[in-house]
Amino acid sequence: MSARVTAENLFPQEFEPHGEILSPSWFEPRRVKALRDFRASGIPHRRIEEWKYSDLRNALESPSPVAPAIAGPASPDPFSALAGARLVTRDGCLQSHAAPAGVELFDLSALNETAPDWVTQNLGEVLTGASMGQASLALMRGGVAMCIARGISEPIHLRFLQNAGAVHGRVLIVVEEGASLVLLESHAGVLGLTNLGLEFVLQPNAQVTHIRLAGAAPEAVQVEEIGIRVARDARYRGHFSQGGAKLSRVELAIALDGGSAEAELSGATVLGGKLHADVTTHISHAAGKTTSRQLFKLIAGGNSRAAYQGRITVCKGADGSDSRQTAKALLLGARAEADLKPELEILADDVKCAHGAAVGDLDADSLFYLCSRGIPEAEARTLLIRGFLEEAVAEIEREDVRGAVWHFLENALPSVLEAAP
Amino acid sequence: MSLLEIENLRVSVQGREILKGLSLAIRAGEVHAIMGPNGSGKSTLSYALAGREGYEITSGQILYRGEDVTALAPEERAARGMFLALQYPVEIPGVTTMNFLKAALNAQRRARGEKELDAMSVLRLVRDTAAALKVPEQMLRRALNVGFSGGEKKRLEIVQMALFKPMLAILDETDSGLDIDALKLVADGVNALRAPDRAMLVITHYQRLLTYIVPDRVHVMADGRIVAEGGKELALELEAKGYAGIAKDAA
Repeated sequence: MSARVTAENLFPQEFEPHGEILSPSWFEPRRVKALRDFRASGIPHRRIEEWKYSDLRNALESPSPVAPAIAGPASPDPFSALAGARLVTRDGCLQSHAAPAGVELFDLSALNETAPDWVTQNLGEVLTGASMGQASLALMRGGVAMCIARGISEPIHLRFLQNAGAVHGRVLIVVEEGASLVLLESHAGVLGLTNLGLEFVLQPNAQVTHIRLAGAAPEAVQVEEIGIRVARDARYRGHFSQGGAKLSRVELAIALDGGSAEAELSGATVLGGKLHADVTTHISHAAGKTTSRQLFKLIAGGNSRAAYQGRITVCKGADGSDSRQTAKALLLGARAEADLKPELEILADDVKCAHGAAVGDLDADSLFYLCSRGIPEAEARTLLIRGFLEEAVAEIEREDVRGAVWHFLENALPSVLEAAP
Repeated sequence: MSLLEIENLRVSVQGREILKGLSLAIRAGEVHAIMGPNGSGKSTLSYALAGREGYEITSGQILYRGEDVTALAPEERAARGMFLALQYPVEIPGVTTMNFLKAALNAQRRARGEKELDAMSVLRLVRDTAAALKVPEQMLRRALNVGFSGGEKKRLEIVQMALFKPMLAILDETDSGLDIDALKLVADGVNALRAPDRAMLVITHYQRLLTYIVPDRVHVMADGRIVAEGGKELALELEAKGYAGIAKDAA
């Protein structure tokens, strides 16, 4: 029997002392603590509740994706038709240093004693608790930090390219009071392990629209931990659509810290073959009159496995809070699996919470209705599948972005339909 | 020759026989009504005519314009001009009514070897047809039947009938859940579609609808068979005597 992978034997060079290169004094304690925590918790596996549907240890043990260096075919940029400044990272490190107007850009590979306050105050302080988040903080070679001032109107593209077998990267985004940002995140890596940690700080009245599209990557292991802090009257809207990977997991930890803060999440998972995708969310209503909405649609064809787990905590004193959570899954493959796990924890008195989850096949009544009007069965199935996803895509406000997401999902659908009976 | 001829039809659903040797013939230009108590097999007949999966024809046949359609899929029957207005039209989130109508119209045209209509022609055609049935354009942009009232759903069924121009229309309890104004509107829509080359089969529980859609023939159904037949006055007789009385007379 082969030995289990551990944090140390998987990333040996990262665990060696950095020698002469010491990180700056403000960061070193955070790095050391993160490394210690990651070593203690190890590589997450299915016996850890949050990783129940994504056995990362197992995925990293079976035919290793952590090849020393790879140059796989890149998946195309789903946002290529959209305007906006483009920031590209390769193996977690920032490639382009041209900051769009209104954006202060900071390269995390050059951490030093004189990093701006918005970096020193927030890096590693928003995304806490997630073990792979600790790993990305401790083991990163670089990353992107940006501070967004009022008045930027064009989207910012954040594209992740990958050549190395294993990448740990970090992103920090601070959105100043009253400012707004549209962030378009995409991934070209189709091989190896990517472990990203993203931190968002929304100051009062800030608005963020974050769209993440990750195409199918059967050989890749993609882990992304996202921590978000939302101050009073600020709003974070996120959309997460994916075609899956050998293992693909996005985890969001959102703290609605200020009164009337809002979070709206939506997403579509479209899986065929043996692909896997897991979206895990934790939303904490920490202040009064905070609202959260979630709508996730999952389609699992072939032998694929789609998961959604969402935990909502309404803290003591968060009166007048309102949370809604819906997750629906379509099982189209005879050997496909969908796991939906909504959870509610309510410690306040006066709150509105609604959640629902349902797994099923295409509705037989709907299928008959369409066919009885002359629509052939294959076309009727496609109409219903698009209709199923449409509700999640409709959550996206900008029409041009919605178009790009639809185009992305259309490309993912054939692999699912092939597997359909 | 009859447009529709059903001969000794036996239909089972999940192994249970519901239609037990039903025969019926309708000529082009005629409107026939089928009345019967709950559980007599009226809806099973309509689903069997439309070709729904799970409605197993164990014997007999359905001749439509001389062709046995029992082996045809629902979409093939629709393309040949058969139409079923459902008792409970299905809500389909995420598919707009307009897109659905365009897909259905063009699928039928394609199956018949006709040229598909472009988006503008469909829009104009649908808008005009819908206006006549007081279905506002804004409703056509909404998801199919989602959030529509009972009356709106039934009106949309008749809009489809007017768009598809079927040779044989089967209306399954189109009156259920309608108030009197909605009922008149739907009946006017149906009457406007009466034509010498078109036949209709109106399935209903109550006589009320037949005041507005006056049938040429009335059939009474009980326990999976036709147990009585007559002219339009039979509907009134039913109203007076009840199903039990008619069934007894027939026996």
